[in-house]
Amino acid sequence: ILVIKCCLFQGGLADADTIFALSSGYGRCGVAVVRVSGPASATALRSMAGHRLPPPRTALLRSITDPLSGEMLDRGLVLWFPAPHSFTGEDSVEFHIHGGPAVITAVLQALGSVPGTRPAEAGEFTRRAFQAGKLDLTEVEGLGDLIHAETEAQRRQALRQMSGELGHIYRDWSHKLKRCLAHIEAFIDFSEDELIEDGVLDQADRSVCDLQSQIEQHLRDERRGERLRSGVHVVIAGATNAGKSSLLNTLCQRPAAIVSPIAGTTRDIVETAVDIGGFPVLLSDTAGLRESADLVEQEGVRRARERVQQADLTLLVVDSTCLPSDVQRAAGFLSEHLRNMCLLVLNKSDLLPETQRQKLKMELRGVSGLPAVCLLSCQTNEGLKDFLTVLQSSVKTLCGDPLAGAPTLTQARHRAHLQQCVAALSQFQRYRDSDLALAAEGVRLALTSLGRITGRVGAEEILDIIFKDFCIGK
Amino acid sequence: MLTKKLQPVQSFLSLVSRSVGHFPRQHYDVIVVGGGHAGTEAAAAAARLGAETLLITQKIHTIGALSCNPSLGGVGKGHLVREVDALDGLCGRAGDWAGISFSILNRRKGPAVWGPRAQLDRQRYREFMQSELLSTPRLTVMEGSVEELLVTDPNPEQPGQHRVNGICLANSSHPISASSVVLTTGTFLSGSLFIGQTTSPGGRIGDAPSSAGLSHTLRERLGLKVGRLRTGTPPRIVKDSVDLSLATLNPPDSSPTPFSFMNTHTRCRPEEQLPCYLTYTTPGVERVVRESLHLNCHIQQDAKGPRYCPSIESRVLRFPGRRHQVWLEPEGLTSDLLYPQGLSMTMPPDVQLRLIREIPPLHKAEIHMPGYGVQYDFVCPTQLSPSLQVKSTQGLFLAGQINGTTGYEEAAAQGLWAGVNAGRRALSKPPVALSRTESYIGVLIDDLVSRGVTEPYRMFTSRAEFRTSLRPDNADLRLTLKGFELGCVSSSRHQKAVRVKNSLQDALAALQALSLSTTSWKRKIPDVHVSEANSNMLSGIEMLQYKDVSFQVLASIFPEVLLPFMEFSQRLKIEAVYRPHCESNKREIQRIQEEENMSLPEDIDYLSLPVSLSQEVREVLHRARPSTLGAATRLEGITPAAVVNLFNYVGLNKHNSGCQGERKRRRTLEKTKTRLR
Repeated sequence: ILVIKCCLFQGGLADADTIFALSSGYGRCGVAVVRVSGPASATALRSMAGHRLPPPRTALLRSITDPLSGEMLDRGLVLWFPAPHSFTGEDSVEFHIHGGPAVITAVLQALGSVPGTRPAEAGEFTRRAFQAGKLDLTEVEGLGDLIHAETEAQRRQALRQMSGELGHIYRDWSHKLKRCLAHIEAFIDFSEDELIEDGVLDQADRSVCDLQSQIEQHLRDERRGERLRSGVHVVIAGATNAGKSSLLNTLCQRPAAIVSPIAGTTRDIVETAVDIGGFPVLLSDTAGLRESADLVEQEGVRRARERVQQADLTLLVVDSTCLPSDVQRAAGFLSEHLRNMCLLVLNKSDLLPETQRQKLKMELRGVSGLPAVCLLSCQTNEGLKDFLTVLQSSVKTLCGDPLAGAPTLTQARHRAHLQQCVAALSQFQRYRDSDLALAAEGVRLALTSLGRITGRVGAEEILDIIFKDFCIGK
Repeated sequence: MLTKKLQPVQSFLSLVSRSVGHFPRQHYDVIVVGGGHAGTEAAAAAARLGAETLLITQKIHTIGALSCNPSLGGVGKGHLVREVDALDGLCGRAGDWAGISFSILNRRKGPAVWGPRAQLDRQRYREFMQSELLSTPRLTVMEGSVEELLVTDPNPEQPGQHRVNGICLANSSHPISASSVVLTTGTFLSGSLFIGQTTSPGGRIGDAPSSAGLSHTLRERLGLKVGRLRTGTPPRIVKDSVDLSLATLNPPDSSPTPFSFMNTHTRCRPEEQLPCYLTYTTPGVERVVRESLHLNCHIQQDAKGPRYCPSIESRVLRFPGRRHQVWLEPEGLTSDLLYPQGLSMTMPPDVQLRLIREIPPLHKAEIHMPGYGVQYDFVCPTQLSPSLQVKSTQGLFLAGQINGTTGYEEAAAQGLWAGVNAGRRALSKPPVALSRTESYIGVLIDDLVSRGVTEPYRMFTSRAEFRTSLRPDNADLRLTLKGFELGCVSSSRHQKAVRVKNSLQDALAALQALSLSTTSWKRKIPDVHVSEANSNMLSGIEMLQYKDVSFQVLASIFPEVLLPFMEFSQRLKIEAVYRPHCESNKREIQRIQEEENMSLPEDIDYLSLPVSLSQEVREVLHRARPSTLGAATRLEGITPAAVVNLFNYVGLNKHNSGCQGERKRRRTLEKTKTRLR
């Protein structure tokens, strides 16, 4: 076995990265499993689920928090598998969390902020398991198809699933970047001997700049595409007996939640998936917010508040018959959660006289800092059409219109690769004038990152472009 | 000066006497066929390793001849020269001896892509090579033409497996046996020369064609797949007939940089150097090419030309309406000729004259020798293992143009590595490979054996994934210590490399230890804009990463610590700048090395392998027969899934043999138990 050292002063080879990925299927499900493997697994576990490591291979219920903000993301089971007794043979951690896309994304993002971690590449867990000799004969025999599904097929499928336009954009970027790299490489390898047209590098500069700003803009989409793919989280919240469950039932057109005149009927969260104007929405009905001595109800209220924090959009339901006092409470509640998008729903409008309805509409529209207000009666469906229009436009804003403007990101994995791509392109700019080899390295890295979405680009393809665009002699 | 000039001549005389005076032995460890750039390096490397070596060449006085351009190195190629030198090969030192015009190309593009290059004096290059080969212990040089390669019949145990036994010379009834044979036949394997409409057999003008027997053995007996490639060379021009005032002067570097890590200066003094001249083609050139196409056999046969343009004909046909560069290069200090780089052509001599006279400085030029084209056979290099041994024939190694490459440096690099492995085989040592993560030689060989060639393969820096780590400046650190372990590096070079390595390490440690606050650095080096964001401590290495901070500047501030390392100032600057990038390469390098260490069995039948692979992937693997998982990964059309499946298979096989043994043992045990009851 050859022991090879590339750079003499690097000492021993660095430890492998720590990788993480959602190991269960994507989409709405009860429980999702996020797996972490590598030397930083313990750090990740400690920084996200308490400083004490759980005993090996024992499931423990812990709060899972963001290591940077300390914000609680979920409560779930954590398992700690110290090396070598794990699937990959490395230190590993599993988070069994709630299966909602928002929770999953939040946990994955939190993991990404732990130093030394990165999203796993397709098949990488299995690959590491092999490297560690962890898979035995029978497992190996059965794995062929499974791995096939995990890797190339998945990537292709993802590419195919991307709206045609999105795939087109990525391929277009990849093509531009390839050309850009080819021209830089041509300049490096041949400009001293051959006639490389003036301005080849200037053109590359412009392309890199363009691409960088395009990708950055694409990344600044506030996760619209991912929402579109996995559903917008809309939470119905408000005081008890305001008609939240009625609103849920109205929206999903079936009695999904129990409705009664008794305050505090809904104690846990009732979830249902609905289609709002063609956009997938995950609708949650929550317990009414009030002080209560009842332990079960207290927990329900806690969950409701937590859900509101995680929501993409909150429908704040208010009983319009108890308005004066309730509006204030609503405002207070609102100011607490203003970071979320919110719609104010004044329910039971059928119980108000027409004059007051008009007055309310006029008055509330003028109040600054208040979200859009809809007067609605779940009983008579009066105002429902207007409300749906408002709701739909809000959801649309959150998802972005896939038909208008630039298509948006649909997968967190793509986001990670694109972020790497942008970072690599700034390396080009940093070294552009001092060291073209290091600058080109930036473009090569950018192309590799983008290639993780669109497919690998080899040296031969770059040479093809060089020889097509420039006359290179012997 | 006089003694220097005499030295090679004396050696040359004793070389002749040696080959004449002693009848060759009947057996050698290694026989090298061919005395070009690959053959000389192969013979010298095998002999350095300790193998009794015989170099057979048609004419001793053409050993070290530069058949084409009188220059060495360049971007990518210079990397190869530095690596060959780091492994104690000849071409770097030969370049320093024969160079008459030195320059570092790409000087402004970063040290990773600097291209050390020199114009050579043809005579001096031959002198050096010939005297060097003669003074190499254990190396015999002999004139002769190899008639036949002696190979065993296929081994019945391993179908298709031959072993080489030696060679048979033309006009000789005595075979010469050898454990290893290295073929470096260049363009001579079924070579044909083309000028205008004339075709004649041969590999180089003025030399006899090689025997058809060799080609026959390779193709018919060994069943090797052979392809055909073309190359060409421009006419040589009488210097006095050229009006150089109409061309742009391109002066060499004022201070020549030697190729060799062992040399501190070149033989040619800075002021003795000769310049090159640059001029351009005109529309008249394009016209002459088009008008004479019907007279140009070589170009008419251009069925599937390379992507780049080796001849002026293909340049103007592929990129019409442009002007193309032509370099007028000196052929030697005292030579009367100029070499017009970029004007390789194969039309009839009178048309060649018409063509060159369309170029302003050449309007009255005389041609000393016309340009011509060569077509020759090459052996598809995917039939070789990374040691450059033919997979189906033990002991047979191929290097240079026979493997489909072009260029002196590419040939020298392969020659050296084939020589090392041929020598190792003769000494009963296992083959060795260089990784593409550690050297351009590794990139070159890996590209050849795992991807094959469709056009003459030439080195470019863009082929090296880890370009920022594989720099010309650190070739010694990458390869010399390893070469010493393999036995192809002398102890004096090894000692020097160890000293350099330790000094650089000490200097970098000293720089790292110089930790000052940003404010202190600003006070000490006011001219440099130290980033305010870095309010913490900065080490000397981090300061050296600033564009305008040189090691000299730091040494003037901390003379007691840094002055001892002044001789390495440039290397230290480069190390400091590239360090973070080499660090970030490490993970990828490690992954590739792991995959390269997982060898795929040579006899694997990909078409029926009981593993989930698509038909497309199976066919790619079947054709390419990669020797390692790493090589498989880089094949075109190989999906990540296929790699993982192959990965499984390799692991599975290991488990399998172990399990079968275990099962058998258990079964035997059970049987024994039953019988005892």
